[in-house]
Amino acid sequence: MTTIPETRPAAQATVPRPEYPAPKYRRILGADRSQLLFWATIIILALLVLAPVVPTLYQSVLDRPLYEEGGLFTTENFTRLFTEANFGSVALNTILFAVMTTVMTLLIAVPMAIVVIRTNIPGRKFFGAAMQWPFFISSLILGFGWITMYGPAGFASVEVRRVLGFLPWDLYTLPGMALTEAVALAPIAYLFCANALRNSDASLEGAAQTVGAGPFRILWSVIIPMLRPPIVYSSVLVFSMSIETLSIPLLYGQPVDITVFATFLYKNGLQSVDPDYGILGAASVIILLVTVLLVAVQAKLLKDARRFVSVRGKATRPRLLDLGWIKWLAVAFITIYVVIGALIPILGLVMRSFTKIFTPLQNPLLSLTMGNYQRIFEFPAYVGSIRNSLIVAGVGAVLVSVLAVVAVVVSKRSTFRYRKVIEYLALAPQAMPGLIIGIGLFWAFAFLPFNMGSLLQGTIWAIIIGFGLRALPSAFGSISPAVMQIGEELDNAARVNGADWLKMFLRILVKLLTPAFVAAMVLTFVVMMKEYSPAIFLGSADTAVIGTTMLELWVQGNTGSVAALATIQIVITAVFVGIAGLLTKGKKDA
Amino acid sequence: MPDVAVKNLRKDFGGLTVLHEVSFTIKDGEFFTLLGPSGCGKSTTLSCLAGLEQPTSGSIAVGDTVLVDDSSNKFVPPEERNLGMVFQSYALWPHMTLAENLAMPLNIRKVSKAEQKTLIHDALDKVGLAHLAHRYPHQLSGGQQQRVALARALVYSPKVLLLDEPLSNLDAKLREQARVWLKRLQSELGITTVYVTHDQEEALAMSDRIAVMSNGHMLQVAPPHEIYERPATAEVAAFIGRSNFIDGTVVSALGGAATVRLEESGETINVAVSDDAATGDLVTVAFRPEKVFLTNRGAEVPADAIVLNADIMTTSYVGSRYEYDLKYGSKTLLVDSTTGGLTGAVRLVVPAEAVRLYPRADVVSKDVAELMAVTH
Ligand SMILES: Nc1ncnc2c1ncn2[C@@H]1O[C@H](COP(=O)(O)OP(=O)(O)OP(=O)(O)O)[C@@H](O)[C@H]1O
Ligand SMILES: [Mg+2]
Repeated sequence: MTTIPETRPAAQATVPRPEYPAPKYRRILGADRSQLLFWATIIILALLVLAPVVPTLYQSVLDRPLYEEGGLFTTENFTRLFTEANFGSVALNTILFAVMTTVMTLLIAVPMAIVVIRTNIPGRKFFGAAMQWPFFISSLILGFGWITMYGPAGFASVEVRRVLGFLPWDLYTLPGMALTEAVALAPIAYLFCANALRNSDASLEGAAQTVGAGPFRILWSVIIPMLRPPIVYSSVLVFSMSIETLSIPLLYGQPVDITVFATFLYKNGLQSVDPDYGILGAASVIILLVTVLLVAVQAKLLKDARRFVSVRGKATRPRLLDLGWIKWLAVAFITIYVVIGALIPILGLVMRSFTKIFTPLQNPLLSLTMGNYQRIFEFPAYVGSIRNSLIVAGVGAVLVSVLAVVAVVVSKRSTFRYRKVIEYLALAPQAMPGLIIGIGLFWAFAFLPFNMGSLLQGTIWAIIIGFGLRALPSAFGSISPAVMQIGEELDNAARVNGADWLKMFLRILVKLLTPAFVAAMVLTFVVMMKEYSPAIFLGSADTAVIGTTMLELWVQGNTGSVAALATIQIVITAVFVGIAGLLTKGKKDA
Repeated sequence: MPDVAVKNLRKDFGGLTVLHEVSFTIKDGEFFTLLGPSGCGKSTTLSCLAGLEQPTSGSIAVGDTVLVDDSSNKFVPPEERNLGMVFQSYALWPHMTLAENLAMPLNIRKVSKAEQKTLIHDALDKVGLAHLAHRYPHQLSGGQQQRVALARALVYSPKVLLLDEPLSNLDAKLREQARVWLKRLQSELGITTVYVTHDQEEALAMSDRIAVMSNGHMLQVAPPHEIYERPATAEVAAFIGRSNFIDGTVVSALGGAATVRLEESGETINVAVSDDAATGDLVTVAFRPEKVFLTNRGAEVPADAIVLNADIMTTSYVGSRYEYDLKYGSKTLLVDSTTGGLTGAVRLVVPAEAVRLYPRADVVSKDVAELMAVTH
């Protein structure tokens, strides 16, 4: 036990103590410097978020490109969109695609979550970890992989056709697109369901078990109802992600002329010789409306779901159910997902990158070559795209994470009047499809007075801004819980001790948030490494990134080099994540 | 060190008023305690003093320095107030050693390194932890952390020391020791101190004056002895120590005396009153269990004492005394006595000076009402 020390003799009190007056902080125009930081944050965020939106809205009601003189307001763009441009069938395709993707995603993710988290199948840990892979790989690369293996001329397809005499599937259809997209998005739905199952109250199940309910009865009457909130939430999330996705619809839909929202923008904005900006603007506005609505629903659902979880109180270790022989079915199902859905396509892509011809008709090992890589390293443009990707992801990770930390701290830990607005602004890009960010920023730069936009247009900074916007919500989301975990009394103690808000932030919170900051940087790096869609409009010949270069090579039919670039991107990501993991682990041990 | 003057302090959260026009003055060097049940607004008052909350209206001044004044729209931020504060969770910065924790306010005040060294050593020495200066907070026990927090609050010689339930995280034994020690340290330093607690014993033992709060109102501000002996309201009487309450009606009032008919039994008693009471007033008669005694029927009692006839229901021996539960009408009264073994019908004798008369306490908050119903 600690003992309380004797205090000094009372005589000491008579000695007059020196004064150490509180510091005075300078005010600029009546506002202290912390206020200036708050305002700077909100202004930067507002500029970033509004930059792509406002020109898009403006263009949608303008009768000519917005940088041309003498534009008149009109609603004609919207009428033309639905009559001439055939936008109705595009919308129908999009909805069909999104619905199918959502259903298939849930069909994969929900049983998987139940089996991995709540039953005693062998290899649970491994499967749980395997569910995280797609986070590191862009759906563009996954799409290349699938086509390489299962496309009309894919490695597996050729073999199956040889054996059966026909090919029982066709990838280049809406269901084919949806299946691939579902494989890519399943981990997200899995994550939400798995969390709910982990946090759920095992005593409910215990009660069911004691009254003699078998494992399937428990599954049906206890576990499934528990999953309702995460299922509803992840459905909306997956639905909205598939509405804005470009990669798979572009790769699969282009050859057979199936158009969805994103490919519509791509076609009309990029592929036509003389893009119809009015239609492009109108379509963007409609898509934006849909995604904003969906994100608003998500936010509402997430709030409710949190309430649902928090009333359950302390989590107890859930008991694992024994499924008997059915567990082998479950293991087979998961293995099929991991191996056929992810592993084979990616390995196929890697193989493709090292071969001249990749077909089962000829032993691939006989046509091994470094030629695909050679081609990439021969052309400065291709090497440049790798360098650009690294610069964008590297610089972007730092900038976005800094902005996110400041935004989180101001919105959660200041008395700034508009702190809520800061949070909404930082999360708003969730509702902005990458292509629309690209188009909108492109117009914004074109629109800026005094030709200021040309300072950014076509530069790597334009790319960094576009990708950074896309990555900002996830960076914000990853830092926010860390801030909430730091007791507010630590801030208050610093304030009373004489630190103004800014000093408190720099001396206390920044130090305590360093691990969260590093984690956010790693996350942002990966996200920005995978990103490419804003660059389709924002990029120039000098600022291509790996993703846009892959698309270009793909259109040229240069699949070997696409595979090589994809492999390079995967390796960069893996190396970066590996090093970051090692560094942070080393720190924790010290 | 200057006085602290708080005038008409009001704080609303959304539509909810948490502090209602609270006013008090703390004298130079005084140990002033805010006491009250959980949620009554003690911490909010302290936060307003520290500048961590901005009051809705009212003013706060330390000596000649106005910290907050709504009429002139003045608000001095916490960092410029030069106060010291100890938080309930201690709020030591986990990434700094004890010495670094203490150096932070000195660095901000641009104190030279050499002087910092002696100041930090002195402050840690005062709380008996100089030898642990290079440890991190998580390497200390709760009691040690609490003392470091105090050292950090004192190291820059603030004008006023604010303490928010600093002892509440310590175990009972340590808390009692810390209480004595803290009080002695405070009087040696002569620093004006505002102390927040919901522990009445702590408040009574340490304070020069206590402010009893309830529901955002200040019920009474007085020295401990007065708070205990002459509670200003029934609520204070209920919250500080134990009290018996019997409802009654004034049947006649004359000068300094009133006759009250008790609702439980119809018995009438004569009570001295300080304020004017009028016939027909609904009142509550209160007395403390240890101020009364029990006698057999027929024994002699002081002439001006109140005598009530009651029956003993249960006896419990608590070491230093016996506690009797008496049935009086439908009420249970609590009485302390040094004599054991009493049973059956007794006379409860309440000396005149032990009786307090309050307006019928229908303003009593729910939790206090509960306290009054079960005073033991
Ligand atoms: N930020 C806030 N927003 C809304 N209500 C608040 C806020 N802070 C405090 N309150 C409310 O104000 C009232 C007084 O709170 P305060 O923290 O001052 O109580 P307290 O007397 O310190 O209680 P305790 O002894 O439990 O610490 C409570 O009812 C509380 O719910
Ligand atoms: Mg409190």
